[in-house]
Amino acid sequence: MRMTIRSLEWLVEQLGGLARFCVLALVLLVATNVILRYLFSIGPVSLQELEWHLVSPIALLGLAYSMKHRADVRIDVLYERFSMRAQALVDLVASLLTVAVGGIIAWLALDYVAQSYQLNEGSPDPGGLTMRYLLKAFIPFGFFLLVTQGVSDTLRAVVQFSDPENPMELPASLSSEASA
Amino acid sequence: APAIATAAASKETFNLKMTNAYPPGSPFYVQGPGSPMDFCKKVGEMSGGRLNISHFAAGELIPALEGFNAVAQGTVEMNAANAYFWAGKIPAAQFFTTVPFGLNTQGMMAWLYQGGGLKLWHELYEPYGLVAFPMGNTGVQMTGWFREPIETLKDLEGLKMRIPGLAGKVYSELGVTVRLLPGGEIFPALERGVIDAAEFVGPYQDRRLGLHKAAKNYYTTGWHEPTNVTELLINKKVWDSMPKDLQMIIQLAAQASVLESLSWSEANNSDALKDLVENEGVIAKPLPAPIVSRLKEVTADTLLTMANADAQMKTVYDSYMAFKDKHASWAALSEKPLLNM
Amino acid sequence: MSGNEWLIIGMIAGFLGLMIIGIPVAISLAVSGFIAGYLGFGSSLFNLMPARLFGVVTNYTLLAIPLFVFMGVMLEKSKVAENMLETIGKAMGGLNGGMGLAIILVGVLMGASTGIVGATVVTVGLLTLPALMRRGYSPSVSCGTICASGTLGQIIPPSLVLILLSDIVGESVGALFAAAFIPGLILAGIYILYLLLLGVFKKELVPAIPAEERAETSKKQLVKDLIAHVMPPLILVFAVLGSIVGGVAAPTEAASMGALGALMIAILSRRFSPALLKETLHGTLVISAMVFFILLCAQPFSLSFRGLGGEQMVHALFEMLPGGEFGAILFLMALLFILGFFLEWIEISYIALPMFLPVFMNYGTDMVWLAIMVAMNLQMSFLTPPFGWALFFLKGVAPKGITTRDIYVGALPFVALQLAALVVLFQFPALVTWLPEAIGW
Ligand code: NA
Ligand code: NA
Repeated sequence: MRMTIRSLEWLVEQLGGLARFCVLALVLLVATNVILRYLFSIGPVSLQELEWHLVSPIALLGLAYSMKHRADVRIDVLYERFSMRAQALVDLVASLLTVAVGGIIAWLALDYVAQSYQLNEGSPDPGGLTMRYLLKAFIPFGFFLLVTQGVSDTLRAVVQFSDPENPMELPASLSSEASA
Repeated sequence: APAIATAAASKETFNLKMTNAYPPGSPFYVQGPGSPMDFCKKVGEMSGGRLNISHFAAGELIPALEGFNAVAQGTVEMNAANAYFWAGKIPAAQFFTTVPFGLNTQGMMAWLYQGGGLKLWHELYEPYGLVAFPMGNTGVQMTGWFREPIETLKDLEGLKMRIPGLAGKVYSELGVTVRLLPGGEIFPALERGVIDAAEFVGPYQDRRLGLHKAAKNYYTTGWHEPTNVTELLINKKVWDSMPKDLQMIIQLAAQASVLESLSWSEANNSDALKDLVENEGVIAKPLPAPIVSRLKEVTADTLLTMANADAQMKTVYDSYMAFKDKHASWAALSEKPLLNM
Repeated sequence: MSGNEWLIIGMIAGFLGLMIIGIPVAISLAVSGFIAGYLGFGSSLFNLMPARLFGVVTNYTLLAIPLFVFMGVMLEKSKVAENMLETIGKAMGGLNGGMGLAIILVGVLMGASTGIVGATVVTVGLLTLPALMRRGYSPSVSCGTICASGTLGQIIPPSLVLILLSDIVGESVGALFAAAFIPGLILAGIYILYLLLLGVFKKELVPAIPAEERAETSKKQLVKDLIAHVMPPLILVFAVLGSIVGGVAAPTEAASMGALGALMIAILSRRFSPALLKETLHGTLVISAMVFFILLCAQPFSLSFRGLGGEQMVHALFEMLPGGEFGAILFLMALLFILGFFLEWIEISYIALPMFLPVFMNYGTDMVWLAIMVAMNLQMSFLTPPFGWALFFLKGVAPKGITTRDIYVGALPFVALQLAALVVLFQFPALVTWLPEAIGW
């Protein structure tokens, strides 16, 4: 089971690497576009569209990644007063719900992407980017990845329940890094 | 039995949803005389409550430009927008809104209603399970707002302009840097000089956006949009399931909206232009002739190249251009002298 | 009440219930939305969900989120932010609350460059919260100050709320931007006044840096430090603002100047390394995705709210509208405030405002003034517990040891201060209407 958890999270981490690259690309691209336009009056429509195209992988591949790194926002007013067992139970319910929500949205989005593919959808602006269905495909893909992380978290919660003496190491959380 | 069936059918009530590509509150595009919301209200009254259309502006149910897909899929039954928004899926669709140096409003209505345009539109949308009708018209639009006067072709080189679509491509051939910007960012960008020029609609809508506070040179006329047709998109299954009388109500209410929105635009644009020029220090003037003729050349090439690359577009292009040639000779002798009198 | 109305109430209760036991906020929103929607209208309307999600992840203005977060994380990781606050703290001398004033200043400056609450709160939180904690500021005062400063961007132009409102009320974007300028500064002024008063009456909550420690730094050294530590980030914020004002970049893309500038500062101060870059990208991705996660999962909730007839429910409330302009405005403000407990501001503007506007037009209310009152009220909804976006976003980046309770408690006084600002604007409408008229917008 621990093996499965590690491989699922390996996948999330790898695709997170792709999204990290998109963050860097976005910073450099938007800045380059501004500078090129201001200094040289250069501004291809395709590069302008690429700006917001990059947000999609960042937001959607990032969902599972931020979940893995425990950057989900939770209200801990009651949670912090629960017993360890009750907290593990809440975690289990949360992960199962994550799997359900991710699964439903990924499933709903399949038809949406298929329709875009059939329409051979592209930018309405001449010189814009084609194959908009690839952009749309990040919706089911990102939420499917969220399901993957949700399954991993569910297994973690099961491990926590069945073997409380040997908790699995957690990936570094954001807040501990931020305060480090 | 047939009589009973008809009677039963005519009692059936249709509860439909209409989405819109424009944000809530927009006059003409969303509310006011001849607008989509006005259309929904009129259809409801004309049908004695058998056609209830709930209207949703952009963002209320779905984002602005998702209407085509939603109606094709059948989740929403109707959508109000402009056909040229779908150019990324059906390049030929733009002819049903307007094309640069294309038909004027009278010519466009003549082509659509009498010259086979509407039939072509329906054939084009048939494979997507859609039916479309004209449901409004802004009339001629304006070239746009320029921070500095434009006198020669050289003034266009390196000029940064907010202008979407086909016209943007034509401008870029003349050295203009095209900047795509959402509606809300046009004003701050133009005011601060991030862009040197911006195109939006016409005097009434432009004044509402405050563009005259950002740039004073208002060039005319709308070579890029000599007319602009609002599109009513309907899911074909829903359309086919409607009894004849309800179909007729929709068609005629849409035609009435064309008339009402166009006359509303004409009246309000004249008032707004007068106000802009007399009270706001706006300088309204036609684009210099050498620039217009260069734009015209490039447009002709661009349209022809695009039509040759897409069989569907070629069919529509041929019909449109043939009609335009015919109509132009008539207008040259009828409307043109009249305007010069 | 009809079945659907009970479902709406159940949906809101379900959301609050799931959220309060510690289920992630995003998941609580999505689950309650899906269940109530499914019970009410089946699965049909959910086919519109992907289009709404696509609208969120391709929204041009939301580009500013990863860009500003990158700037914030880079400044934080390269210790630039920490040094800046320490130096400001020393420069403020014995003034209690001095570091808090710095935060409000950062909030004003960042607010002048973006309108995205998520980006500002997260950036300011990252930059300042750890340093404030180390300096013994009360967690709740710190959190409240950060959230309130972070939401200033909503009212200080350019702002998304104002752009949307300009469409709804039919006034130009420029007029609303000009009208919001003075109220935004007034609000910041009220916050500053509050912190100064805390510094006098409750100085243990906002302590100045101890005198003996300040004494270790000579006047000369302090001036040097100010130049070395405060100038770079200040230049950065002015670069963002300057590129907007100077016509180099449109508001959204100006954020990239901040991100690029933060990268340059790290390089010039010799703190840059591949590892630092990787950490920054990691932090940016995690925080941006966290913000998007909530925005995405709010979609099933608001779609169900609409599908179940939530709009009609609000309309029914409208029937209770008292007569008279004064009563109507009070009622509108109260309604916006209450809706702000569980709906996000875009949904509120779409649902509530179109009904009210005709009424106020009849009264001849100044629409620019009304729009600013509404914007101020919506901004307040970002701060109101339990469902305030600013509060969630800060929770996402807060160091361990900061509890939700700290954030909630800290936000409350600022909600009250906002109310005070609303009263001021109500009493003196010229504060809103003067500037747009003076500059002819
Ligand atoms: Na702002
Ligand atoms: Na709230």
